[in-house]
Amino acid sequence: MGPPLKRIADRIVRPLVRLLHEGLGLSPAQITWASFWASAAAAGAIAAGRVPLGLALMAAGQVLDGIDGAVARSYELSSDQGHRLDTLLDRASESLIFLAFAVAGLVPTMHALLAITAVLLLTTVCDRSGLDPGFKRVVLYFGTWVPWPTLFTIIFGVNLAAYVIGLLIIDCQFQNRMDALGGDLDTVASRAARLEAAESEAMPPTTQPVLSEPPGR
Amino acid sequence: MTVFTHFLATTLGVQALGLEGREAVLAYGFGVAVDVDHVVKAPYYLRAVGLRDKRGYYWRSSLQEPVGFLWIAPLCLWLGTAVPLLFYAIHLLMDYSVSFEKMPFYPYSRWVTRGWLVHVPDKVKEAVLFTILLVANVALWWARR
Repeated sequence: MGPPLKRIADRIVRPLVRLLHEGLGLSPAQITWASFWASAAAAGAIAAGRVPLGLALMAAGQVLDGIDGAVARSYELSSDQGHRLDTLLDRASESLIFLAFAVAGLVPTMHALLAITAVLLLTTVCDRSGLDPGFKRVVLYFGTWVPWPTLFTIIFGVNLAAYVIGLLIIDCQFQNRMDALGGDLDTVASRAARLEAAESEAMPPTTQPVLSEPPGR
Repeated sequence: MTVFTHFLATTLGVQALGLEGREAVLAYGFGVAVDVDHVVKAPYYLRAVGLRDKRGYYWRSSLQEPVGFLWIAPLCLWLGTAVPLLFYAIHLLMDYSVSFEKMPFYPYSRWVTRGWLVHVPDKVKEAVLFTILLVANVALWWARR
């Protein structure tokens, strides 16, 4: 989601953000964990064959997943560690839910594992490429109309394609770096790689709070 | 390696394995058509160099580097065939015998290598391989005629 969309979404969920953060005193990290546990419960329900209940719990988890970021932004509690925790638990949630469909016998285990693999691969590059089509668990809401194996094929295909395109985007960024360097073309890749390594080492560590906890709580 | 040498190597593999239909398409896709990434790099070449011929420009991308196995292996499992893996590996083996710089695992690693047989001139390697592949293709086709 781009910054303007994020601002609009933040405005819509503001009452809930206030309730969770100011009313209940929850930090973004605690909301992220609550989102994960809702998703884990969703996986349990789906594995037990109660798919509608599972999808409802999954929706609750996704709402909380959206709110943790809104709380972090609204109260200036964003941190690299919070972002990492959010990404880690998002992927864990999706993995559990995808596997639950396999356990319930709705899709072959291989389909679930490959969909997880494609999503994980995309996650490794999407921050750098800026490309994430968002075709993950949200696709599962279409299960009423589209067969589950087809939905898993879509998740696998879209995420794998986005991964390949993401790699190409990063390659093009590196090509810009090489073209800007110029000089001997026979050594331009190694020179650009050294420059990129030096720049990434010189980047200052985050100055944000380590944990997304509100001050004084 | 040039696209012609990749084409000869893939054709030899397709003939030797008796691939047809979808398998043959996959073989040519992953043995030859992965060179399509040069099209992606073409605008960069035109901007940096222009229309003149400048040797040594970095035309490569992760579409033809070992990092590609990360997405080709799951794809093979999905398709239920190892043909893409095999012909992609052959493509890479050939490319890594040419001595220009390569980044096998970018963006996960910035390691740069020139591959193998770096002391043999590239033109000699290309000519020898092209000749061997051409003769082998003709011989195999002749034997099966």
